[in-house]
Amino acid sequence: MTSGKVAQPEKQALTPAVGTGLPRSKGGSLHPLAATLTRTLGPRKVLSNLSERLNYRYDAIAFGATPLAVVLPESTADVVAAVKAARAAGVPIVGRGAASGLSGGAAPTEPGLVISFTRMTRLEIDAARREARAQPGVITLAVTEAARPHGLIYPPDPASFRTSTIGGNLGENAGGPLCFKYGVTGDYVQGLEFVDAEGDVHTLTRDTYDLAGLLIGSEGTLGLITEATLRLTVPPRFTRTLMAHFAEVGACAEAVSAAIAAGAVPSKLEFMDRACTNAIEDYLHLGLPREAEALLLVDTDGDDLETVEEERALVEAACRNAGGTVRRAESDAEAAQLWQARRSVSPALGRIRPQRMNEDIVVPRSVLPEVVREIRALGDASGLHLVQFGHIGDGNLHPNILFDPRTESLEAVHELAHEVARVAIRHGGVLSGEHGIGSMKLAFMREAVDAETLAALWRVKHALDPQGALNPGKVLPPELA
Amino acid sequence: MGYEGKVPVNNDILTHHPDGQGEVMAHAVDACVHCGFCLPACPTYALLGDEMDSPRGRIVLMKEVLEGALPLYDAAPHLDRCLGCQACVTACPSGVPYGELITSFRGWSEPQRQRSPLDRAKRAAILKILPAPRVFSLAARVGQFAKPLAPLLPNALRSPLDLLPEHVPAMQPSAAFTPARGQRRGRVAFLVGCAQQALTPNFNAATLRVLARNGIEVVIPEGQGCCGAAALHTGARDEALKLVRANLAAFNPDDFDAILSNAAGCGAGLKEYPAILHGLPDEAQARAFAAKVQDISEYLGGLLEDGELEPVLPASRPLTVAYHDACHLAHAQGVRSAPRALLRAIPGVTVLEVPEGDLCCGSAGTYNLEQPELATQLGIRKAKNILSTQPDLIASGNIGCHTQIQSHARRQGSPVPVMHTIEVLDLAYRGEL
Ligand SMILES: Cc1cc2nc3c(=O)[nH]c(=O)nc-3n(C[C@H](O)[C@H](O)[C@H](O)COP(=O)(O)OP(=O)(O)OC[C@H]3O[C@@H](n4cnc5c(N)ncnc54)[C@H](O)[C@@H]3O)c2cc1C
Ligand code: SF4
Ligand code: SF4
Repeated sequence: MTSGKVAQPEKQALTPAVGTGLPRSKGGSLHPLAATLTRTLGPRKVLSNLSERLNYRYDAIAFGATPLAVVLPESTADVVAAVKAARAAGVPIVGRGAASGLSGGAAPTEPGLVISFTRMTRLEIDAARREARAQPGVITLAVTEAARPHGLIYPPDPASFRTSTIGGNLGENAGGPLCFKYGVTGDYVQGLEFVDAEGDVHTLTRDTYDLAGLLIGSEGTLGLITEATLRLTVPPRFTRTLMAHFAEVGACAEAVSAAIAAGAVPSKLEFMDRACTNAIEDYLHLGLPREAEALLLVDTDGDDLETVEEERALVEAACRNAGGTVRRAESDAEAAQLWQARRSVSPALGRIRPQRMNEDIVVPRSVLPEVVREIRALGDASGLHLVQFGHIGDGNLHPNILFDPRTESLEAVHELAHEVARVAIRHGGVLSGEHGIGSMKLAFMREAVDAETLAALWRVKHALDPQGALNPGKVLPPELA
Repeated sequence: MGYEGKVPVNNDILTHHPDGQGEVMAHAVDACVHCGFCLPACPTYALLGDEMDSPRGRIVLMKEVLEGALPLYDAAPHLDRCLGCQACVTACPSGVPYGELITSFRGWSEPQRQRSPLDRAKRAAILKILPAPRVFSLAARVGQFAKPLAPLLPNALRSPLDLLPEHVPAMQPSAAFTPARGQRRGRVAFLVGCAQQALTPNFNAATLRVLARNGIEVVIPEGQGCCGAAALHTGARDEALKLVRANLAAFNPDDFDAILSNAAGCGAGLKEYPAILHGLPDEAQARAFAAKVQDISEYLGGLLEDGELEPVLPASRPLTVAYHDACHLAHAQGVRSAPRALLRAIPGVTVLEVPEGDLCCGSAGTYNLEQPELATQLGIRKAKNILSTQPDLIASGNIGCHTQIQSHARRQGSPVPVMHTIEVLDLAYRGEL
């Protein structure tokens, strides 16, 4: 068995070496919880000053309550100690990865303990078993980087994969462009270790009572994941990339439906509209078609070059039939640039307006053309900045309403978001594809999930977290009396 | 969805700071969508792994301080650790001008800092010595003799000595005018810089030779001085303003095709003038000035692209050159391809890419003096990464990087020569490479 221990590139073992000698910020009175934690874990692993705590109250979409203390554990034992201390103090516990989440999952709803996993970065590759054992703070992309020398990859590729952590990916069951063909984070989990609300450690596999499956996507509301065993795969030998652009968003969606109906299974099928393309161009200056209403990026891959190229030809034909203009990426470097462009869409939208209402709907592929057209029409009628992009192959779309709260009405923004959500529900869709519910989408849960199912979910929550200490106020709307 | 009206990203900075600098800071904070894309790019986040020492964290801290919600002294340790390397600017899809934010913030906050007398004296000395090449040269030559004492000194005093070359050359002031060789094709103004005049006078000599060789006449306007970047980045805004205005008076952009610098840090500083003077009467003048500023490699790269660069003689043997991206060139000025293209234009030269090439070398202006511990860790890491490519030569476009890399490469036992890109080009023109 060849087992390679791999240092995690972004945060090397340097972390423990510094810290103590550096000046710490002063200020803010020490909460008793912080004092206890500092005694048990030592000062380097506990943050208690105001400047420190203020920085652990947000994720990539929401700001929450400032925590009373923050722990940066380096081992499962540290997590256990932190959970026990928080329970003794009677305060809630919120797990946090890189805080790149888009549902408010890591932003606390009330003051408590934040456990930030960014220093738990041990990663081991077991090439013979095609497995990676990762602590939760390992950066997503680091798994593939470590596996590649063994001829393996870890396919889940959220656009945030340079920043996001495995723990956060598990928390949200993250997806990405490759997931259309290869599946989402949860499909790669062989086993988990987690710390429960009492501070007890459990090891799970995917056998009967797939408790691991329950934890995946639970946004830290059922337990804190301290290690994951992830399945690795052999990457396809050939990949071909193409870009198509369209004069209308619906035409782009029609091309997607037609290509898939014709039997193509592209590995990535991503869409962005005109505003997205322009925001990206302002950032990267790649020469993308600024005038096009919709842009489609497609990868086909496999081990047989002929099949890969046939598949690409199928997609090309579907795009042309729908009135699109097709361009092939001529080199790996060009393909890499196009995919970097796609990954940058969401933050690049910050150039248009400082704030956003961000949706994550999934609709059946058959209704995609109607859905994108209806949403476009809603946006045009509203006078607000509404843009769309997403993993169109899965029917997973991210309509975003961009706004400036100082000049635009929040009610109007809220109303538009509701209407967009209703389009999805009306066409048989759901409200959360990959970003999770967190606190941002709680308001919609009652519309999207029937009362009986919600009650069943609450019973699960009570069974695993009877005191409601784990990430309260997330995923499930308050129980009805 | 489910926006609960409690997302205070948009800020209240202008209410507290209703001036030009307030506008610069408010705009930057506004543009941050806290996506975290900058986290993996930030050297201090890479070393420390906590949010306060990340770009996103610092933006939030500055916002809180500016709005009066957090005392300055509480945020200061984390803001002080920022290298100003602007790797976060390259990584940021939302276009947050982080460099302008931290510069303005330091300018606003420094006068309110309570520093120890030793700290104050050290900073005052840096700001006095750096912009005065003659004094600097003298200090460097005195320091050279103090090198053997280094192990006895505290870290803060030791690190600058470590960085001094073994041999500090005598000052060689550059001629006020260098005529073009052959047919005159252009006319540029040149900023001679500070530290490099004392430590590495060949940078400027090589620059003048290469420009003349290409038919470019070079004027070194009288009255020019330090670009002000060091003062600015340590928060000495009043001193910086004096230096900025002296340069605006010395350089008339209408007289020249371009205003050139061969020190990435200075060039980036010159390009910052409009932000520094934002909202002040001379802002327009600063814009006209900054529009003409180019790094030497940017300018020569332009000639190369237009097919107008004088052909270079081939290297005497195949040479591998590890090119180090200076942060103030790659991140602050977006100049990456031109220096590589210039090196590749020398027949026989292969350019090597350095692993973790986007990560700062830790030199970062006065960082070596202010944060010796982190600077040293980054220096070690950078030298290791560069040397892992096993180059024949190391090239970069900045005096700070140059001394940092040289000193750490030597400490790791490597004799590989470290040069400015322009020195490599100059040797090639002379047939001595
Ligand atoms: C620009 C941008 C693009 C994005 N693109 C995608 C995309 O393509 N696909 C996608 O799916 N998502 C995407 N996201 C969303 C986000 O990156 C993912 O949800 C990611 O999985 C979050 O990881 P994180 O480490 O940042 O987790 P965090 O945001 O820190 O946490 C996310 C959730 O997981 C919980 N959690 C964290 N660690 C643990 C743990 N160890 N145990 C238990 N619970 C834990 C937290 O409590 C929280 O509820 C994007 C985000 C941004 C900003
Ligand atoms: S990448 Fe830009 S927008 Fe995103 S957190 Fe960093 S500075 Fe803010
Ligand atoms: S300038 Fe450099 S050190 Fe400072 S926050 Fe940005 S990346 Fe980090």
